[in-house]
Amino acid sequence: MREHFLLRTLKMFADEALDPVTVASVWRKAQQGAQQSRGCQTPAVLSDHAGVQTRFTASSSTQTEPQEQNLQEGGLGGPDPPGLVDFLKRVEDTVTKELEKNSRSHAFDGYHANWEEGSDHVSLLHSLQHPGAEESGLHVSAVSWSCTGSVIVCAYGRTDDGDWTHQKSCVCLWNLDRRSLRPKQADLVLEVPAAVTSVCCHPERPALIAGGLYNGEVVVWDTSRTQDPVLAQTGMSADSHREPVYQVVWVPLQKKGDFGVLSSSSGGEVLLWLVDPDQGRLVLNAAYAFVRQQLPHSSSLKSRGSSRVGVSALALSPWDADSFLVGSEGGLLLRCSFSCGPPAAVAPEGRSVAPRAPARFCFRPAGGPVHSLHCSPFHRNLFISAGTDGEVRLGSLLQADPLLAVRVSDSYVFQAQWSPSRPLVFAAATGQGEVQIFDLARKSLRPAATIRDGAADRTATCLAFNGADRRLLAAGRSDGTVGVWRLSSDLTEQRAEESLRLEQIANQVAE
Amino acid sequence: MADVDETLKRIESHKGVIGTILVNGDGIPVRTTLDNSTTSQYARLLRSFTALASSAVRDVDPQNDLTFVRIRSKKHEIMVAPENNNLLIVIQNPCE
Repeated sequence: MREHFLLRTLKMFADEALDPVTVASVWRKAQQGAQQSRGCQTPAVLSDHAGVQTRFTASSSTQTEPQEQNLQEGGLGGPDPPGLVDFLKRVEDTVTKELEKNSRSHAFDGYHANWEEGSDHVSLLHSLQHPGAEESGLHVSAVSWSCTGSVIVCAYGRTDDGDWTHQKSCVCLWNLDRRSLRPKQADLVLEVPAAVTSVCCHPERPALIAGGLYNGEVVVWDTSRTQDPVLAQTGMSADSHREPVYQVVWVPLQKKGDFGVLSSSSGGEVLLWLVDPDQGRLVLNAAYAFVRQQLPHSSSLKSRGSSRVGVSALALSPWDADSFLVGSEGGLLLRCSFSCGPPAAVAPEGRSVAPRAPARFCFRPAGGPVHSLHCSPFHRNLFISAGTDGEVRLGSLLQADPLLAVRVSDSYVFQAQWSPSRPLVFAAATGQGEVQIFDLARKSLRPAATIRDGAADRTATCLAFNGADRRLLAAGRSDGTVGVWRLSSDLTEQRAEESLRLEQIANQVAE
Repeated sequence: MADVDETLKRIESHKGVIGTILVNGDGIPVRTTLDNSTTSQYARLLRSFTALASSAVRDVDPQNDLTFVRIRSKKHEIMVAPENNNLLIVIQNPCE
């Protein structure tokens, strides 16, 4: 029944196909605005080619020439303005009269004007100590003033040992112009891995200090750098010294304003280093070696012992940039030259620069090792030398024998230095703890002043005059203290006839 | 020219004279026996010094005028003869 019902329903439902009806959208047409279409085009760009070439060239340059002195413009030797001759005629008589009167005048005999209040005696200003160095039993081995004269640099080491020590030491700086100066505490302490034998402050830049160490190294410190004050060092390279460095000095080089470091050691060589701040190294520039066979001979030389001549003292001449003086451990005094010299007769030892033999002239040898040499800043031929024979010898560069020998003490003399203000005065640091100051203007050869500071068994190991403030003298001792003394005005103020007297002494010929 | 040279030679031959400088009205040294830098220093410094001395003398008494300047120092004596801005500077070492 069901199937019949389904079939009948299906016949009633037949498929029908209808055409689709489209309804156009009215909305879209209403929203569209009026449309218009336009076109444009740029006209063609005109371009053209042309070529240019230089056919001939000319070049010229300009340079300013150095300003000529006014002297040239004034017409030296040329025609004079007419008024000049008349002026001279009128004035000549007056001037001549005055000149003659003056040469006969006694008006100013013995008159000395004093611009500053002088002091009559030598007084101790400061006594500087570094507790760390005192505990280790270190001596003051060198003192040096900075070029400005306000900072004193003290180096600690031992002056009596002969052994290699691994003792650490230091270099202390005090600024004396500061109000907050503490004598027991240094303003700056530079730690050094070995004992320091010598320091020298740079002559123009107050922050640079060169130092020589007992292990043969040479170091340059720059105190303006806070992080690592070591600016350059030689290190243990093939170029450096193998024996203790005795002395370091700053040397002016060819180019004005440049300085190199000259170091001398007991191994018999003197080396000239250039500072290379970028690499932090000292670069060897020149080497000078002293070999006994190559020394200019004098009759009193006995060639005995090793052929090396250990250099214990070094002095530069402020008058002659080419020569320097050298004193040896055996008592020899030599005058040497930087520039010319035959190659030294030593094994090369892996040095980068071949050493030369610089000795030119040999003075009469001293009786013992020469500890100190200093050329006079007032006379080009004079120098003093001090050694273990207790004498300070005044010598001239022109002759082999000394001019004068002054007995300073019964024990060693460690350092002798000329005064920077009075041509006839020099000071010597002795083994008996005293610093003796001698004045050659006096008739007798007894010391003009003696500086004694405390116990007599302490040796005075080094001294330095202050180049800027001429009245100050620093002296270091073996108990680790450094005394800063102010000298009396008669030891520091130059008198009228001193240069003449110095000239007379220099022209004496030793008998 | 010869007169100037002769006169200067006569002055220089006096006892103890170290050097002479002749400065013209413009302050330029025209004759000198010292080196260039020392000469220009002396000419410049002494010119202003002499002008100062001259004005000091005239201020005190307008009828008066500066005739000669002598400066004595520890080492030597400097003598300046001024006139119309010309200067003759002589440096003498009075050896006693």
